Amino acid sequence: MPSQEKDIETVIPDLHDIPVDRLAELGSSALAHSIALYRERLRENGVPLSSFQARI
Amino acid sequence: MTITNHPLPEAAFTELAEGGGSPATMRRLGGAQRSKHLMLLHAIAEAAVGSEAGPTAFRAGYEHLARIQDTAPGAATWLLDLPHLGGWVHDTLIHLDQGTAADFGHFACLVSAAAIRAGLPADLDVPVQDGRVRLPGLGSLQVTSEKAWVRLRSDGERVTVGDEFVAGARLMRPDDGTGMGVPGWSGTPAIRAAGGGLAWTVLLETGDPYLDRYTLPMRAAMPAVEVTDWRERVRSAWQIVAGGHRSTAEPMADVISVIVPLTPRSGTDLVSATTPAAYGAIATSWPPDEVTLAETLVHEFHHVKLCGLLDMVPLASSGEQHVYAPWRQDPRPASGLLQGVYAHLGIARFWQAQQHAETDADGLLRAQVLFARWRPAIGETAQTLLETGSLTPAGVRFAERLRAQGQQLMATPVPAEAAQLAAEVALDHRLTWRLRHVAAEPAGVAALAEAYRRGEPCPGEAPTWVQEDVRKVDSGLRSRLLNLRYLEPARYQALCGDGVLPLSEADRLLLGRSSEAAVQAYRTQIADSADPQPDAWIGLALALHQLPPSPPRAALAAWLVQMTEVHARLADGTDPLDLASWFA
Repeated sequence: MPSQEKDIETVIPDLHDIPVDRLAELGSSALAHSIALYRERLRENGVPLSSFQARI
Repeated sequence: MTITNHPLPEAAFTELAEGGGSPATMRRLGGAQRSKHLMLLHAIAEAAVGSEAGPTAFRAGYEHLARIQDTAPGAATWLLDLPHLGGWVHDTLIHLDQGTAADFGHFACLVSAAAIRAGLPADLDVPVQDGRVRLPGLGSLQVTSEKAWVRLRSDGERVTVGDEFVAGARLMRPDDGTGMGVPGWSGTPAIRAAGGGLAWTVLLETGDPYLDRYTLPMRAAMPAVEVTDWRERVRSAWQIVAGGHRSTAEPMADVISVIVPLTPRSGTDLVSATTPAAYGAIATSWPPDEVTLAETLVHEFHHVKLCGLLDMVPLASSGEQHVYAPWRQDPRPASGLLQGVYAHLGIARFWQAQQHAETDADGLLRAQVLFARWRPAIGETAQTLLETGSLTPAGVRFAERLRAQGQQLMATPVPAEAAQLAAEVALDHRLTWRLRHVAAEPAGVAALAEAYRRGEPCPGEAPTWVQEDVRKVDSGLRSRLLNLRYLEPARYQALCGDGVLPLSEADRLLLGRSSEAAVQAYRTQIADSADPQPDAWIGLALALHQLPPSPPRAALAAWLVQMTEVHARLADGTDPLDLASWFA
C-alpha cells in the first residue's frame, strides 16, 4: 500500500501568487511573523558565509 | 487573504540529506527563495517612506514590479531569482536594522533591468554611480549626465536616459564574447558552456557591489584577457561536471547563474565561498586547473543547496560548542560543521566518479587519494555533529542520513597506496589541529607525570577541552608537502630534489619514507630539546604510521596532547617512545 507522503513544516511563507502591492493586505499575519523571525536570525548571526580555503 | 508556508515533502528533504537534489526538488528550493525575497522586499517597502530620492525611487520600482508580476510573470521570476537582488535585499535589511543609510534607490535599477531584459516598458529614476547606471544581471550603462539620478525610460525597444537615446533594449545584454559592442554599454561577462549535451549559461560578475560580499574582494575591473581565460576554464570544467557528474550538473545548470571571481591572497591558495544572501551565486578565486574548478563548482553547489534548505527548515543552532572539522584549521560550531560535511559529501562523490574519468597516472592518483581522504570524514563528522546536541529534530534526521551516506562510501575499494597517502594526511591534519586547539587540565597532566615517574601504570587520561590556538604548531611546510605528493607529484619531486626547502632532517626522512630513521630522528629531536617540540611529535606519529601497527603508534594517534604535556612537565629528556608505550 503506498504510504501517504507527509510535508515538512517550513518557515518561509508561500507568496508566489501574491503581487507585491498586495502583500501589505496580509497585515500582522504569518508574513509579519516570518519576517520578524528572519530579521532576528540576521541580527543574531549576520549573513553566514561558507568559505573554504584549499592549500594547493 | 491567507497564506501558508512553503511545503517540503519528506521525500525531497531525504533526497537533499543524501546529497542529491533533483531538478524538481531544486525548483521547490528556488520557489522558496523567491518567496523569501518577496517577504524581505515587503519589509523594506514598509521602511521606504519619506520624500527623499532613494525611498521615492524604491516605491516607484516596487509599483513597477507589481505591474511586471501582472503582465510578465516570467520577468518578475527572473528578477526574484537574481542573486544580485538577494545581496541587495540582505544589505538593505542590515542597514535598516543597524540604523545606517540604506541604498533604497538601487531597487529601481533592479526593476529596470528586469523590464529592459523582457522588452517591457520602464520609466524610473535610477541612481548614477561612477558615471554609470547599473542594471544588475545585464551590465551597466555609461551616462553623460553628472547628476546623481537620471530618468531611465524604455518603451520596450528603445532605451533613453533623460532625453537622450542610448541603445536598443535588445542590445543591452550580458556580454558572451560573441556580439558587437554597443557604445556606452558594458555587458556583464557571460559564459556559455556545453558538455555532454547539457548547456549552462553563467555570469562572471565583476561589478555588482552587492555580490562583493565574500571573504576576499571581488576581482573587479577584469581585463578582457582574464575574462577569456575564465571563459575557457569554466567551459572545460563544465565538460567535466556535465560529462561525469550528471546528477549534480543538471540541477546546477538551473540554479547557479553567477560566478563571482575573487582576488586571492596568494597565488597558491584557492578560496571559494557561498552565502545564503545570494542563492544561485558561487564565488571562487582563479582555479589552477579545470578539474579543481569542477570540484569547486560541485563543492559550492552543495553549500547553495543547503543554504536553500536551511532557509526553509532550520537544522542547527549556532551552539556554543566548537569541534574538529577535517577540512578546517579552526574549531567549528555545529552550523559550520553541517555545511562542511554536506559539501564534503559532494566532494567525496566527485572524486569517486572522477577516478573513472582520469586518463593519466597523476590525475588518477589525485582522484583516488582525495576520495580516500574525504569519504571517512563524512560518517565521522556526521557522528560528531549528532553528538554536539545542537541539531533540531530535522537536523538530527538530516545528519543521520549524511552518516549513512558516508558509511556507504566506505564500501568502495581504494588502492593501498592511495589509502596510505590519504590516511597520512588525515592523521597529520587531525594531530595538528589537536595540538593547536586542545588544552589539557594541568592537574591531570601533573598526576600522569607523577605516575610515570613512579613507574606506575598509566592511570587514565587528563581531561581536555577545545581551546582555540592554545599551542603554536609550525609544521605547515611539511603538511603542504605531504599533500603535494598526490596533488602535484612532479612539483613535489622537483621541490624535494633541489634540497633548498627548510626542512629538518627528520622531516626529510619522513617524506622520503625512511620511516625507521625518521622515528629515530624525531625521538632524538624531542628528547634533546628543552622546549616542547609539537612539530616533531606530529612527525613521530606520522613516521610510526608508516610502519606496521604497534602500541606506541596507536597511543600517539590517540593521546598526543596529553603525551606532549606530560613530556614537557617531566622535562628530563624522557624518550618519547617510552612515554608512548606507557600511555598505550
